[in-house]
Amino acid sequence: MSLFKKKSKEKIYTRYSSAGANVSVWKETVEKLQTPEGRPEVLDDIMVLDASSANFSGIVAASFFAEFGADVIKIEPAGGDPCRKMTPYGKNVKGVGIPFMMEGRNKRYMTLDLENSPEDRETFGALAQKAAVVIETFPAGKMDSWGIGYRQLSEKNPGLIYIAITPYGQYTKKAQEFVNFPDTDITTQTGSGLSAQIGDFKDEPEPYGWPLKAGAWMGWYVTGLSAALGGMMALLHRQGTGEGQMIDVAGMDSYSSMTGFPASIGYTWDKPRPRIGVLDFILYPYSHWKCKDGLVAIAAPRDQDFRALLKILNRWDLEDDFKYTPDRIPDIIEQALELHHQIEKETLKYTADELTAKALGYALKAARSKWRGGGIPIVMKVMTPEETVKNPQWAVRKSFKEVEDETLGKFVITSGFAKMSESPPQIKWVSCDIGKDNEYVKTKYL
Amino acid sequence: MEDYFSYTAKLFDPAGESKKPEVFKGLRVLDFTHVIFGPTASRVLATYGAEVIKLELPFYGDLWRPATYWGRYWKHSNPIWHFVTQNKYFVSLDLKRQEAKDLIYKMAKDADIVLENFAPGTAEAWGVGYSTLGKINPKLIYLSCSTYGQYGPMRYFPGWDLLAQAASGVLSLNGFPETDRYYKLPDYLGDFVPGNMAAMVLAMAIYYRNKSGKGQYLDLSQTDSMIRTLSNFTYKSVTGEALGRTGHADPSMVAASIFKARDEKFLGLACATEKQFEGLCNAMGKEDLLKDNRFSDYLEALKEENAEALRAIVGDWIKTKDCDEIVALANDKGFAAAEVATDRMICDDEWRRERGSVILFNDEMYGELAIAGPSARLSKTPARTKWLARPLGYHNRLVLMKFLGLTEAEMTDLEEKKVIGTGDDRPGLKPPLYYHLDKDPIYNYGREVKR
Repeated sequence: MSLFKKKSKEKIYTRYSSAGANVSVWKETVEKLQTPEGRPEVLDDIMVLDASSANFSGIVAASFFAEFGADVIKIEPAGGDPCRKMTPYGKNVKGVGIPFMMEGRNKRYMTLDLENSPEDRETFGALAQKAAVVIETFPAGKMDSWGIGYRQLSEKNPGLIYIAITPYGQYTKKAQEFVNFPDTDITTQTGSGLSAQIGDFKDEPEPYGWPLKAGAWMGWYVTGLSAALGGMMALLHRQGTGEGQMIDVAGMDSYSSMTGFPASIGYTWDKPRPRIGVLDFILYPYSHWKCKDGLVAIAAPRDQDFRALLKILNRWDLEDDFKYTPDRIPDIIEQALELHHQIEKETLKYTADELTAKALGYALKAARSKWRGGGIPIVMKVMTPEETVKNPQWAVRKSFKEVEDETLGKFVITSGFAKMSESPPQIKWVSCDIGKDNEYVKTKYL
Repeated sequence: MEDYFSYTAKLFDPAGESKKPEVFKGLRVLDFTHVIFGPTASRVLATYGAEVIKLELPFYGDLWRPATYWGRYWKHSNPIWHFVTQNKYFVSLDLKRQEAKDLIYKMAKDADIVLENFAPGTAEAWGVGYSTLGKINPKLIYLSCSTYGQYGPMRYFPGWDLLAQAASGVLSLNGFPETDRYYKLPDYLGDFVPGNMAAMVLAMAIYYRNKSGKGQYLDLSQTDSMIRTLSNFTYKSVTGEALGRTGHADPSMVAASIFKARDEKFLGLACATEKQFEGLCNAMGKEDLLKDNRFSDYLEALKEENAEALRAIVGDWIKTKDCDEIVALANDKGFAAAEVATDRMICDDEWRRERGSVILFNDEMYGELAIAGPSARLSKTPARTKWLARPLGYHNRLVLMKFLGLTEAEMTDLEEKKVIGTGDDRPGLKPPLYYHLDKDPIYNYGREVKR
């Protein structure tokens, strides 16, 4: 991106960050964040068994534990977890799908057929005595009926944390009635409230007016994150007391319990919210527009930010009609759409980088003003992942890593989503071979 | 042995939750964050029992206090703000004043966690950054939240959820290929996902501190967090192609898409395994598809032209049935299908109430409000809602007098100097009209009140 090519002095766009004595000390703090390799690992004292099957959220949860140093063992039958085959357009490397390759970080692989082999269940039971965490996604009660549920495993290992992920959870009549109902990303998105809010106005031509799905696996990643987060809380309790517990994660809760919006809005409003396309319920302008070279996202929701935006777009004439937040929020849809179209007329005249530079220029001026100094219109090019990966910001932050595996060859994965000065997450290796660590696991734990 | 579901019903009984222990009992959190990203991280800690002291500017408060959906208030409060600020202590301090800083330094001595989400460098410039507070208390865990992170060429760029969605690539994936239709993820998911990741990372840091005795500095970027959820980078590096937008379809799973049923209701449907696909064919009465070379193997059925053909077949079948029929068939035959759930459906669903996914919470100040339950249910140390949002500065006296030991005279002095202060008379900042703050013993901590 042209914005970053010039090696110039760093500019500060917000008014209070301007250099003080502390900022140089801050530099030292920040430098420590940049070398995660070889640092202590948070979870290097625990073993995690990931027995999830055909449910990617279990894999995601296990990945978080693995990134922070746990010895994570993926348990699957000789034919492999069906998740290996879930991949866009069937694209794979030697039978391993793309999402599975990406989450194959720091993991061990052991073959056990829990569904069909009583002997393997026994082996699993023995392994679980050494485990801190078990993750499973079978129908509620299935593991229990095999003699390796939380009830049985916790008798011998009271410190065990047992995470069960299903669409409807482990209790209630509904969970019982839908006990064999499988979990998928798309049904998690539709069933937990995401799809109802993404997409265009319902009177748009078909199928554009339908509820949409998020392109990314937002159902499964949110569920997996919720499971890992709950697991960490349980690990802290275990660390203090030695006591384990059971954790019940329901995919149908994922979006609604992460944002909290559906419950409270459903309660305070008479009708469900409509879908409002590119508009936003609370903030405006807070959307994306076409520009000369693609799309640009602009956030200028506070009145002062909006005024600043009008100035950089040379549209002060809009100020009278859209002066205050209530004039801009889409409770009157036509009014909000009119403003949207007016803004697009201007954004089309510039490239995304030109608009970003204009906005940053304004912010810089505002930050230096002695008085109120105006607002901060915030602009960013809407990047495709292919553009994101080239952004120098992420190279500096090592957000991507090219990894190599004997079987799968070289490929890029995301890495280091959190920077920590003492115990950061790390990618040590990637691998996906079924049964690769059978011997390792047996020797170490059995 | 006892029936599994009666065992789990006891294990997770929502009625018994309030008596169970809390993971973070006694953990003190100083929370400088505002809007959603940071407050979500501290909300998670607060629901697990941490004492989160939310610091706001007197008379202004958190930017999100007055920003409601379509400008509609509920009892003069922002209805969606309650979820994000539950169980917190609301203290207002003017950070620019030395007196306020001194109070913060005092609090930092016994704090376990500090969070901030100002523009990078701001907390340092104000003298409340890690380089200051980490010296006062070396065991401190200090989290900085921002859009692009604390280092890198874009660190000073201002940002929000939207910009993180744009910069991570996540926005560009929602919409329809070969059109100009793109949609951002709704409801500030670019804040909520990073906020939950931040809570998880804070838990990691506490776990590490318990082992090593060491505090540390954490840098969470919301764009980094969103990047973590995408496999598109791996897809590109393996196939050389961009995946782009895929409309209603999920190209990773067999027959996965959003469909419209006969009764005009929408549903998501997918098959995660070959066995589930069998179930779907069985439900459609089209067992012949199982012998069709195009669909007989999971990976084969995902190939673009095969997947398209299959979605057309499934879509035509769905048009002939009502949504409920499909969902019942899915449950019976073992594939996945779920109706697109709206706010109202989620709020009113009987099973969600029974499960505790949606809780009718009765708050002392606001009365009854439906609030979302925790995203993971822990059998021994469950998360719980104890109180909802409070007016600006509501806990000033409780926190400063009870926890910090300030005297009545010192409080009066700070109030007079406007170092601390309560709400302006604005919705979002003030209590409900019917509520008498002068009779509230918490607000008036240390004073006699008549109830």
